[in-house]
Amino acid sequence: MRLSGRLRAALVIGIQGIRSRKLRTLLSMASLFLGVLAVVVVQAASVSVERAELRDIELQSGIDGTRQSYLPASEKVLPVVLDTVATHPDAVAFGNLQVDIGEPGVTPINPGGAPIDDPNGPVYDQGARNVICTPYRGCVVQSGPAAGPQARGAAIELNVTVMTGDIRRYKPFRLVSGQWLDFEHMPSLAPTVVLNTAAAKGFQKYTIPAQMRIPGAAADPTPQIIGVVDDGQQSAQAYMRMDETANWLPTAAMSRSFGSVGVMLPPGQSDTERILVSRLLAAGLTEGDVHVGTIDVRRGIQRSLTIMRIVFFGTASLVLLIGVGGILNVGLATVGERVEEFALRRAVGTPRLLLAGIVLSETLLTGLLTAAAAIGAAALTLRLAGSILAHREPVLANIGFPWQAAVAGVVAGLAAGLLGGLIPALRAARIPIATVMRA
Amino acid sequence: MTALVEHPLIELAGVTKTLRGQGEPRPVLTGVDLTLHSGESIAILGRSGSGKSTLLSLIGLFDRPDGGRYVLHGQDITRVSERRAAALRSAEFGFVFQRFFLLKHLTAAQNVAMALVNGQGWLGRRRRRATVLAALDRVGIAHLARHKPARLSGGEQQRVAIARALVREPRLLLADEPTGALDTETGNLVVDALHSATERGCGLILVTHDADHAARMGRVVRLTGGVLAPEVAV
Repeated sequence: MRLSGRLRAALVIGIQGIRSRKLRTLLSMASLFLGVLAVVVVQAASVSVERAELRDIELQSGIDGTRQSYLPASEKVLPVVLDTVATHPDAVAFGNLQVDIGEPGVTPINPGGAPIDDPNGPVYDQGARNVICTPYRGCVVQSGPAAGPQARGAAIELNVTVMTGDIRRYKPFRLVSGQWLDFEHMPSLAPTVVLNTAAAKGFQKYTIPAQMRIPGAAADPTPQIIGVVDDGQQSAQAYMRMDETANWLPTAAMSRSFGSVGVMLPPGQSDTERILVSRLLAAGLTEGDVHVGTIDVRRGIQRSLTIMRIVFFGTASLVLLIGVGGILNVGLATVGERVEEFALRRAVGTPRLLLAGIVLSETLLTGLLTAAAAIGAAALTLRLAGSILAHREPVLANIGFPWQAAVAGVVAGLAAGLLGGLIPALRAARIPIATVMRA
Repeated sequence: MTALVEHPLIELAGVTKTLRGQGEPRPVLTGVDLTLHSGESIAILGRSGSGKSTLLSLIGLFDRPDGGRYVLHGQDITRVSERRAAALRSAEFGFVFQRFFLLKHLTAAQNVAMALVNGQGWLGRRRRRATVLAALDRVGIAHLARHKPARLSGGEQQRVAIARALVREPRLLLADEPTGALDTETGNLVVDALHSATERGCGLILVTHDADHAARMGRVVRLTGGVLAPEVAV
């Protein structure tokens, strides 16, 4: 890159100025450091929060752009859906069941699939013993006999998602241990189950007999728990293959247990989606019943993130403004001290614009140096915090320093250098040359 | 056949300047006429406050005259823009002041290079270094190139200032009492260094109180009452 003569001259003289006034440069940097650091930290925090939020919401709702539909799981609809997705592996159909694993005839440790040992646990609705209310699912009618008066026993209630294919294409659950469901192999009579971390806690803490009760099933199968995933849910969840569930729960019974059936489809209007919609309409559903929407979680959290950013950036800007005041103060004092130097530079032919450029280049370089220091400090702090606090806050374990924070730091440093250097630069450009003649 | 007309280096005709400060306006120059050719040297004598430095600042384009005409090598530059004036100061003039005005944080070579790193064109580092050393050599202090001003004597500092004035090969050297802060012997050395520039075709205007130094110039003029007195042949 070739720089013009004036730009080079401004840089050369600016660097000379910084080197000759190290203490002043350090003082300017000190006054600016906190401001730039605040901007870097705020940007790093907001990017990290956004990533974490998005990651958790994607786990629960699905990746942005995925097409999704919830349909009534009637005996008419479910066979059409299952038949369509069986020949179109890019789509995944799923339904939800409440399943107990453990001792029969007892109240599970976590009624309603609530988190294990949750102090805000579920309560039975007054007057209706089979209605259970949890902060996670609201109030739901428990199937089967009223559970209220039964003694608690060694059983765990799970909210099970039963699926036709690998739903992780659309909801990127993180495997914590063991393995994920294998849809390639023949279905097993002992259904394979993957727990989420909340459910796994219960199985780790309590000794639970391997007996699974699926509402509507003729017999209780013996489950095989093969893995644990992080699905972003706090309630006890589990995941099972639909074909393995169907060994114990026929499609007709399944449609009664599900309530609704969900279908996840690839982004865009795929052939699978068109075929599914056509078949459902042909099966007698109206267009109003068949609504396929697009997942857009980013938009959902955008507003709250924007508000958070505005508040944090407002605070950071105030701190930065104080830093600008510092650099302005030091800049004005420096120009006052260098009146003769600037007059002399004008005398030897330096244009006014270049004199302003020299002062600005010094403050901009100071801003850049400060930004580098602040970015380094923030990255180091983040790494230290990650290594020290990772066991308490798992989010910190894999957190990286976002490049957006580095960019924000550089922009803040340059902006502060520009704002703080502008008035001193104008003053330097106005110094009369005659100063050297009268000296 | 047309004869080539050689213009004088500078021509001042009826130049006036009034200083306007907080008090009453004070006419300093009331009608200065001056002509100088390339390679010519001239000394301007006068009492303190007679307007010598003001005249020098007008010639050096630090300031503009209120009236009259200023022609540099055939070009009228009486009302030249500040941008053009900066370019002319860089290319045409070299300045030496009573106080040396060396930047204490720079070495002698860097102080001389200041006149090259002024946004008027760009010389590569190697060429710039060679040019600076040549200028220092002309005034006999190339061996002090890496010294900072604090380690130089008054005479050496003034010679660094002269090297800075000469480094761009100016057509006119303007010296405002350059020996005022030096002893007689050192002052003579400095005047020698200035005078040697005229041998290469450079014009020299020396403002001084010292009659001996003035006597070494080609012409001597006296500024009295805002006008230059008739030139005295020396």
